[in-house]
Amino acid sequence: MQEKNRGLGLFTLLVFLFLLGPLLIISVTSFEGGNILKFPPEELSLRWYENIFHVEMFLVAFKTSILVSLGGNLLALLLGVPAAYALSRVEFKGKSVINAVFVSPILVPGIVLGFAFLRYIVGTYQLPIYAALFVGHTVIMLPFIIRVISSSLSNFDFSIEEAAESLGASKLGTFFTVVLPNIKSGILAAVMIAFLESFNNVDISVYMTGPGVSTFPIQMLTYVENYFDPTISAISVLLMFITAFFMFMVERLMGLSYFTKR
Amino acid sequence: MKKRYLYLLLLPGLLFLTVFMIIPIFLTIGTTFINDHGFSIQGYLDFFKDRYFVEILLTTLRVSLFTTILCILLGFPAAYYISKLKQRKKAIMLLLTIFPLLTSPVVRSFSWMVIIGKNGVVNKVLLSIGLIEKPLDILYTPTAIIIGLVHLFLPLIIVTLVGVMENIETDLLKAAESLGASRLAVFSKVVIPLSVPGLVIGSILVFVGSFTAYTTPALLGGKQRVISTFLYQNAITLNEWQVASIVATIMIAVTVLIISIMNGLAKKLNPKG
Amino acid sequence: MALFTLQDISVAYNKQNILKDFNLEIEKGKLVSLLGPSGCGKTTTLRLIAGFLKANEGKFLFKDKDYTKVPVNKRNFGFVFQNYALFPHLSIFDNIAFGLRLRKNSKAEIEKKVMNVLEIVNLKGFEKRYPQELSGGQKQRVAIARALVIEPDILLFDEPLSNLDANLRVNMRVEIRRIQQELGITTVYVSHDQEECFSISDQVAIMNKGVIEQLSDPATIYKYPETKFVADFIGFKNFIDFDERTDTGGKIELSKSGYSFVLDKDARMFNHAGKIGAIRPDDLLIREKGDAGAVQENSLSGRVKVSTYLGRSYQYVVETPIGDFIVNKEMTESYRMGQEIILEIPRNQMVLVD
Repeated sequence: MQEKNRGLGLFTLLVFLFLLGPLLIISVTSFEGGNILKFPPEELSLRWYENIFHVEMFLVAFKTSILVSLGGNLLALLLGVPAAYALSRVEFKGKSVINAVFVSPILVPGIVLGFAFLRYIVGTYQLPIYAALFVGHTVIMLPFIIRVISSSLSNFDFSIEEAAESLGASKLGTFFTVVLPNIKSGILAAVMIAFLESFNNVDISVYMTGPGVSTFPIQMLTYVENYFDPTISAISVLLMFITAFFMFMVERLMGLSYFTKR
Repeated sequence: MKKRYLYLLLLPGLLFLTVFMIIPIFLTIGTTFINDHGFSIQGYLDFFKDRYFVEILLTTLRVSLFTTILCILLGFPAAYYISKLKQRKKAIMLLLTIFPLLTSPVVRSFSWMVIIGKNGVVNKVLLSIGLIEKPLDILYTPTAIIIGLVHLFLPLIIVTLVGVMENIETDLLKAAESLGASRLAVFSKVVIPLSVPGLVIGSILVFVGSFTAYTTPALLGGKQRVISTFLYQNAITLNEWQVASIVATIMIAVTVLIISIMNGLAKKLNPKG
Repeated sequence: MALFTLQDISVAYNKQNILKDFNLEIEKGKLVSLLGPSGCGKTTTLRLIAGFLKANEGKFLFKDKDYTKVPVNKRNFGFVFQNYALFPHLSIFDNIAFGLRLRKNSKAEIEKKVMNVLEIVNLKGFEKRYPQELSGGQKQRVAIARALVIEPDILLFDEPLSNLDANLRVNMRVEIRRIQQELGITTVYVSHDQEECFSISDQVAIMNKGVIEQLSDPATIYKYPETKFVADFIGFKNFIDFDERTDTGGKIELSKSGYSFVLDKDARMFNHAGKIGAIRPDDLLIREKGDAGAVQENSLSGRVKVSTYLGRSYQYVVETPIGDFIVNKEMTESYRMGQEIILEIPRNQMVLVD
């Protein structure tokens, strides 16, 4: 069997070379010592990593992104956890419609969603750019929060809620002493997945730039359009580290099945 | 009757989505059917009469189709190989697949600029071994967009297919072989049919994703517009909100259409009925 | 005096009645089982008592106070679940202390009570473990300890042994009975296992379609089922729907399609107006044709239709002019398929039910 699969194995290797090669190449270019981005680098240095911290717009945008992603995450949790809990507890006609509403932010093309946000949330509702970013990111995080927490609740044995109540706990008390501690890894995974989704988002944030306000990926886009130096390579490496860390955390918390289930 | 309070828990989320997503989306769609005289589809008629617009739509569909086909051709064998690996190796391969999926699309598109640019890796290699005399123009063409999109969505289809293929029992494959089927026959008569549901879902994700992707065509497409960059250009640069709304509505319509066609197809093709 | 009473309770779900005009009184210190097939409403009744479920109509009285609207967490009833329902994130100690902490017991009190109850359920030394580390039987003991430690007014069991294997089930039910009697705690016990209920209960309520068909002590139910459903449920597999019943002196005369039978009248059946005869497969007699011992009375001529080997005995299906009968016989007496025989219904073994 092993022998016969050699061709297939080689093919798979090439596919992975295609997938990971580019990421490897920009990682290498980030250590360029010269002024121009090229592969392989002429001499090695860490100067472009240092340069990140000298580019004011990156620092400001990084702060904005972190604030928007974390704040939106918190709001998405406040809206999403109760909803996921209720959806896993009740059966009613039209539940599939409600479910569809909660996942719809994934189904609507991001670039369309962003435009609608710009036109109505910034335009008609007159929300400041910062607030609109916050609201928009909450919208796109909500489906991930609800999906991951729902899947975590689907393994939850609700009779332990009744056990807690029969022992004297109130409904709210039961939620905090019994439900929450048992789905906390699901919540943590949801937060991380939603954070990555929001932090990497371009499609919505690209519409929401204003004086001094812009998210990190949008600043990267702007920078790439204007300069072609290894700063972006260096940033890419840092972002990949963050991604890898989050991925391992989610894998730890939820297992690989989170990623393979559709 | 007894759990009324649970419905209240749905309310904040629903209200939030209604105000900040559903209403904006429906208004966006709604305004495209209204002009000074009331209901009208004139905007759409104009849109489809304009060759430039139609060209962009067709290019986007073509790019998405090529991307989907390439993703299937590359992803299917790779997914099959991964699904047959031992638990530990499989986990590592899956993590390696998921990693690019979670990496910023800006980073991933940028990496291809380094590779297929005029002074990029590909051109340098080809020039140095004398295969070409002057650098190839790959970057800023539809081909560049397709390469970038395949890179973007290939992990998605692999991960989806592995999820489905894992559930094809090894015994079933052995049984097919024991009945005299060649390995190719096993693959085409057993593996492929049983993978159809995953293939359909994966293809929807890739096609719709490619059709609506913004970052990759924005960075790798140069002047070559696709529908998403066209939408953005109209909304921001040209301030043509009416055109942008029409494009947005067409994108939603195509997305819904593809999802429902593929869903219908999946139901028909599902071997389990 | 009854400790608690369910009064004219009705519960409906999706417009379907699960309980209808349901009444039940339970005395202090008794263990009462609710026994019946799935869907009979026994679990609904239990959940209603616990407060997990609200009745559409009717009242629940506890110590003569109206408890109908008292929420679960204010009732102080212990509930033991089928799947144990232990808190997976808490140690055994914390699982048991859960209810005590909500009752604002002091640390020393909690410690003392938990240790005490662990001793009662024979789980001393397990307090630092987590539920996942315990076997099914141990988990169920923890669940019982957790319910007991709050000194509940009523203890409720929902099929507590159905997830355990057969041997453990027997041990655990002895344990449950021992604990219940030691503490004198009023208990309602739901199960679909007849032997389990009969072996531990003071009283058994046999339920069917949301109604209690019979509520008596186990021995009475076993010997004198009152309805056809109860009789069938506890193993009376043969029924004769008699045309006529005449009570005379110490006897009851019955007839079916021209065949007549006589039963000895017995005190309990005296007032009973039922016309359906019920008899267990073990209690029927088979005699060879021409057997000297064969009596004319209560006998039917029949033919062995099916013979099944059961290990210690044979089971026969005997065809007679008034219908088929199922008969169990010892290994020593065996009959061929198709053999013509005489079937006798002993005059003191049949009961009459509604």
